[in-house]
This record gives sequence, structure tokens and C-alpha cells, in this order.
Amino acid sequence: MKIKKQLIKREIAGDTILVPVGKTVYDSNGLFVLNELAAFIWDILPEVSDEVQIVERILADYEVTREVASADTAQFLRKLREMGIID
Amino acid sequence: MNKKSRTEPYISTYLHSKGRKLGLPIAGNFELTARCNFNCPMCYVHMTEEQVRAAGKELTAEQWISIAREARDRGMIFVLLTGGEPLVRRDFFEIYRGMKEMGLLISINSNGSMIRGEILEKFLADPPFRFNISLYGGCNETYENMCGQPAYTRVKENIRALRKAGVEVSLNLSITPYNYQDLAQIYADAVELDVNVRASSYMYPSIRVNGEQYGCGNRLSPEDAAKYGVAWDQLRFTGEEFAVRAQNMKNLIGDEEPECPVESEEGVRCRAGSSAFWMTWDGQMRPCGMMPGPTAYPLEVGFEAAWETIKAETAKIRLPNQCTSCAKRDVCPVCAAVCVTETGAFDQVPTYVCRQTEQTICATWEAYQNRRGADSKQAEQTICTTWKAYQDGRGVEQRMEEESSEHAAEKEGN
Ligand code: SF4
Ligand code: SF4
Repeated sequence: MKIKKQLIKREIAGDTILVPVGKTVYDSNGLFVLNELAAFIWDILPEVSDEVQIVERILADYEVTREVASADTAQFLRKLREMGIID
Repeated sequence: MNKKSRTEPYISTYLHSKGRKLGLPIAGNFELTARCNFNCPMCYVHMTEEQVRAAGKELTAEQWISIAREARDRGMIFVLLTGGEPLVRRDFFEIYRGMKEMGLLISINSNGSMIRGEILEKFLADPPFRFNISLYGGCNETYENMCGQPAYTRVKENIRALRKAGVEVSLNLSITPYNYQDLAQIYADAVELDVNVRASSYMYPSIRVNGEQYGCGNRLSPEDAAKYGVAWDQLRFTGEEFAVRAQNMKNLIGDEEPECPVESEEGVRCRAGSSAFWMTWDGQMRPCGMMPGPTAYPLEVGFEAAWETIKAETAKIRLPNQCTSCAKRDVCPVCAAVCVTETGAFDQVPTYVCRQTEQTICATWEAYQNRRGADSKQAEQTICTTWKAYQDGRGVEQRMEEESSEHAAEKEGN
């Protein structure tokens, strides 16, 4: 999945933060803080092509049910779409 | 996305409190130069090209970027580029872009006069998180008197262009003997440009440029500073908001977000030296740019060691006992930098600020009564007599007398 915006990922004292750069500053609200799962999804986004693949990768790395993984993934992707970060 | 509801302040508060606990430099203020194309009499840092040459050496772009990289590796995320006027540096964009590539959220303090043409284009293509632009007056004449240049029209045009493109701008207004008569126009401009204004009629003594002249400055008397501060409040608040403010003030409740958020009740109250640092144009690290010290030298000892020194020295600073236990503390802008620039010591009471605070409380109440159509004289007397009685009880009276004579001496000295 293609990330359309310019965002730099930073780790600060255990928090994962996305910092907007370039024209992304115009339509961002400042910084984005990602929780652990969101940070995991963020890292694999360029390597996956759909939601199902993300859920599979989560299930391979985390001990969660498919239900939880799907719900969390859908929620995070919805947010990214709302912000125009992915299509 | 609604730009008005930027989420940064919440995240910023969260990160700063974490930084404070863990000793991380979350925010860095970089004073890129002491030079400026304006020449304002109350500036705490401005020097001419010759003075700069005589006083020291401006850091190179590589040096700024390398300090920023070390700070970034220790947790810095918020950066303020300031001056002087940072845009007078020919290599400004080299520094700006170098820092942006590191994943830093950058704000810029500027007088706004140079943000046009090629410079404007560059910013529109790669905007900062926010511009904090100082507005000095509401007409070209005031600008000429205060800054030495009739730049009002130009600055306003530049702000308009930034706003039109969607760049975040906020205005800083210093209320001084040169521009207090323009407040209504400045307010009208801010409304027209749809920008927030942070106004202050308290000016720090410029000890960094004037040597050890503590408590002196090209500024209003504390009484006038209060008067015009309240005049500004009357412009910016609706009748209802002003009434709430007046009631709160009377009860000594602070109702405003302070310019530098309060983090602790003893010692340095703000983030300076605990999750924020300041770099002067010649490479000295301080907790805050208003303070003449403590100082550390990252170019010599490295960022990490310098930051540790600043944190340790800041932790030792104590404010005057009188302030710590003062009933007016929550409505008073006192801070470590105020004390040291007013008196030469962190633990001495800044009497100018006591008087300004005192007068602000009285003048706010008086204005509120006037708005309500009450007899102003009676209202003024009531509140001020109440205050006097209150102070008598606390033995502050004597201090006020001392202040008055000090102030007279200061005036003569000027
Ligand atoms: S009014 Fe004076 S004594 Fe009280 S907090 Fe302010 S500066 Fe300190
Ligand atoms: S010391 Fe005073 S001026 Fe400096 S950052 Fe703190 S509150 Fe602000």
C-alpha cells in the first residue's frame, strides 16, 4: 500500500511519532502518535497490498485473535484514508 | 481537516511531561543570528553586524545542523528557529531543510518583512509548522518609529500571502511606548488576517545586549504596561469573557494559558532546562534565551554533556520565597527569567512585575465596572482599597515603597 504523504517516523521514549514534512504540513494537524500495533502496521504498509495481508502479518507476530486484528487494522486504515495518507 | 484544531498542543504537553520525567530535550530553541533588518529598541538580542563581529562568531550552518542532530538523537522533536531575524542568514534554508530532514517539527519566529518573492515561494513549497510573526504596529509610521523601517504594509501583505496559501501564522505583539496607540488597528488587522495574537506589555530588560543594567529597558512604566495590557484584553474579549476574567482576577485565579506553560511550583516553573533548551547565536546553551545563564558549551563538550549541565544548574534555581507564597502568583507573569533580568538574581522579587500585576488586577476590575456602567471612581477605589488593606496585612506596603523609590532612581538613570 502506497503512503502518499511525506511523514518521517520518529521513536521518542517509547512512543512512535509521525512528523509531517514538505507539503504534508498543510493538511496535517501537527504530529501523529502511533500505538504499538499502528506502528507495526505503518512499518509493513509498503510491503503489503491489502488489508488481509496486514491481518496475516499481525497474526504471525502477535498473539491476538483474527477478529481483534481485523478490527484494529480496519480502524487504523480508515484513519489513514481520512487523512489522505493512503488511497 | 480543521486546521484550527491542531492536535499538537495535547501531544506537546504529553511529550514535554515525559521529557521532564526522563530528562529529554523535547524542544530546542535555536537563535540563528543576533542580526536583524529591523532595529527595535526593546530587543533583548539584536546587534548590528559590527557588534556581532566584535562579540563573537555566529555558528555555521553545519554547526547548527550537527547540534540539532545530537539533540534529535536525545529526543528533540520541536524546534523554534529564531533570532534576531533568522531570515537574514543567507544559508537559512540550508539549516531549515537540514533540520526538517531529521524529522523535526519546526516553527519560525520572524518579523515577517522578508517573507516574499523567492523566500515566500520556498516556504510555500515546504512550510514550517507555524510562523510566529511579530507585529510592531498598525501603520507605517509606527513601524518607522519603532523598527526603523516603514514596513507595516509589506509585513501585512506577506502575512496575507502566507494565510492565503494555508500556512499557519500566529502573531506576537509587544506593547511598548512606541506602539500602544495602535492597539485597535492591530486588533482589526488580526481579525482581518484571521490569526491569533499573543500580546505582552511586559518587556524583559535587555541585559544580554546592555550588560548588567538589570531592571532597565525601553518599556512602559509598570502602570502603563498594565493599562495597555488591559486595553488589549478589552479588545480581544467579548463582554462576557472579560467579565469572567475580571471576576477571576479579583479572586486571583489565573484563567489564561501562560506563554510558557507552568510545570512546577518551586524553582523554574516552565520547561526551560528540564525538557527545553535554548542555543544563543554564538553557540551557548542556556535553559531559556531570556536568562544570562547558566551556560554550557555544546561545541566544546558535546550536546549530551552540555544538556546535563543545564539540567543540573536549572534544578538549583529557586524563585524568591515571597513569590512562591504570593497570593497573586497565579495572575502574575513572574518566572525565573523575569527575576534575574529585573534584579540580577533568581531569588530577588521583581518589583516592576509586582506593580504591573497589582495594576492589572485594579485596571481589569475598573474596566469591568465601567463596562457595566458602574461609577468607575467608586469601583476603582473599592478594589484598590481592598488591595491596600490586604497588602497592609501582609506587610507588602513597605516593599511597595522601596519599589517606588527604586523606580524613581531607574527613571532618573534613563
Ligand atoms: S506579585 Fe510580585 S511577589 Fe507576587 S508573584 Fe508576582 S512578582 Fe512575585
Ligand atoms: S524562564 Fe520565563 S521566559 Fe524563560 S522559558 Fe521559562 S517562563 Fe519563559
